[in-house]
Amino acid sequence: MSHGFHFLDDVAIADLAFDAFGDSLQELFQGATCAVIEALADPATVGVTWRQTIERTDEDPAELLFDWLSDLVYWKDAAGVVFSRSELTLIRQDHGCWKLTGLLYGEPVNGSAQTLRADVKGITKHLYEVNQEDMRWHARVVVDV
Amino acid sequence: MKLNTEMQINQISDEVWEIPSSEKAGMLVPARIYATPALLQSMDAGVFEQVTNVACLPGIKRYALCMPDGHWGYGFPIGGVAAFDARSGVISPGGVGYDVNCGMRLIRTDLTREDVQPHLDRLMTELFRRVPAGVGASGFVRLDRSSFGQVMTNGARWCIEKGFGWHRDLEAIEEGGCMAGADPSKVSDQAVNRGINQLGTLGSGNHYLEVQVVSNDRVFDRETASAWGITGHDQIVVMVHCGSRGFGHQVASDYLKVFERAMRRYGISVRDQQLACAPFASVEGQDYFSAMNCAANTAFANRQVITHQIREAFAAVFGRSAEEMGMELVYDVAHNIAKVERYPEGELVVHRKGSTRAFGPGSSELPPRYRATGQPVICGGSMETGSYLLAGTRKAVRDTFASTVHGSGRTMSRAQAKKTVRGEQLQKQMKQRGILVKAVSLSGLAEEAGFAYKNISEVVAAVDRAGITKPVAELRPIGNIKG
Repeated sequence: MSHGFHFLDDVAIADLAFDAFGDSLQELFQGATCAVIEALADPATVGVTWRQTIERTDEDPAELLFDWLSDLVYWKDAAGVVFSRSELTLIRQDHGCWKLTGLLYGEPVNGSAQTLRADVKGITKHLYEVNQEDMRWHARVVVDV
Repeated sequence: MKLNTEMQINQISDEVWEIPSSEKAGMLVPARIYATPALLQSMDAGVFEQVTNVACLPGIKRYALCMPDGHWGYGFPIGGVAAFDARSGVISPGGVGYDVNCGMRLIRTDLTREDVQPHLDRLMTELFRRVPAGVGASGFVRLDRSSFGQVMTNGARWCIEKGFGWHRDLEAIEEGGCMAGADPSKVSDQAVNRGINQLGTLGSGNHYLEVQVVSNDRVFDRETASAWGITGHDQIVVMVHCGSRGFGHQVASDYLKVFERAMRRYGISVRDQQLACAPFASVEGQDYFSAMNCAANTAFANRQVITHQIREAFAAVFGRSAEEMGMELVYDVAHNIAKVERYPEGELVVHRKGSTRAFGPGSSELPPRYRATGQPVICGGSMETGSYLLAGTRKAVRDTFASTVHGSGRTMSRAQAKKTVRGEQLQKQMKQRGILVKAVSLSGLAEEAGFAYKNISEVVAAVDRAGITKPVAELRPIGNIKG
């Protein structure tokens, strides 16, 4: 099982774009989450004094990922935090809905201790896609900074 | 001429280019791009695709427009302008931008470079301390939800009532610093939670606070400059570029979802999901307009609180009051907004996304102090190359729904810019050239290097020759604060 992401050079001139991938849908979610966490701050410089559990369900995994990534941006502003890591569990429920349970770890923004990066303002649907090819899940995400 | 599109483009004049409505199925009007040939050639393919997508939206009048600083955006291109019939046309968050009422503000002073240079380091440190920037920054103004509701409703007026500015500031802000029709009940709790602690903060990305110099040889229209308090003689001015922060973004995101559903109900289809829209006269359209006005007012208030902090920082460093230093507001413009304005076609909902309103001399919409000169237009350049102060014209009112450029416009992606230069290296190079930079994020600083932007002088020359704004003065940076 593996997941990952890479930022794209030429997809969003004024903003930030990344491709995320994973061997499973849950791994894909983990890869995309790491990308947003890395876009905000170097997670190695962020502690774990704050945590938040988030639950979401959706029939459409693409919408679920979009809303989940938007949750990260929301908590960044609402709680004034940046993130060090996340734990995700994604299950397919009996009625076909996907249920995501996400746990975010981080700490309040502290520019003198953390390496801060871009203040991501939101996740966009520009060029947004989630698909599965050759048993591997892939997402393209453009974030507004 | 080699362009980044296969579409047919006809030259209308030296700086105006037209894509006919026959070029894409569904176009209701032609698309017009304002640019010099060199700027047109450098425009990315997204501009041509997106401006012609906008030309397909219901109720659009005359043309879908793109200004010379245009580049790829979400739905609309940055630099995009479109006007829709207020009765039968639509409103689209993609035509306003996520950062609702992102805008520019210019503050003049009586100080000269000679006065400021010996204290520049201390001044920039003081400004950096008083105007929080970057990820997660919160402002010094503590608000409860009721007070934040008043900010949404009253914008910069709320700030003046609370002592964050002078009464006469309001006359130097577009719409007097308060858009009518703001209704906080149309704003989600999420948006409030994101915005309630952000009043008085810059943000990051291309937002900045800049201390600039106006030298005598860079004042192009002395009469207009003088009317606005710009004297030249190495005069110090301060420019602010920021908007409604996370609050405005949440409003846009919330209503894009609402409009995705509404479009099915109203039988509207769009070529790009980011162009989701609803009839302006519909419940959804009016709800968004009310919420957008809340975000616009919050942005006016944000820039007003920042202005208060700038005046306090100058007073602390120079030991004189802001009044004594003549720190008057030259103007404050919105460049991400939708407004109802009257044109020969009737009442139109004019969307300006990365475009500035440019009312010309005699416009009854302007306060008396700007009626003889036309409206000040603040055009922000990169932190290395400087910015321009322009004036609106009657021709802009006739040709472009009173719209013009907002900045220089990017040509290089953030990722590429970071690969080209390191933030520390850029900061050192700029210091050697006499520009002191304070940045929260050095990687963010590298993303904003001057080479990542178009040549602002060429952008300004394009709108000057097209007659839709005239240059008044060039403003050169000596100090910059970035998130």
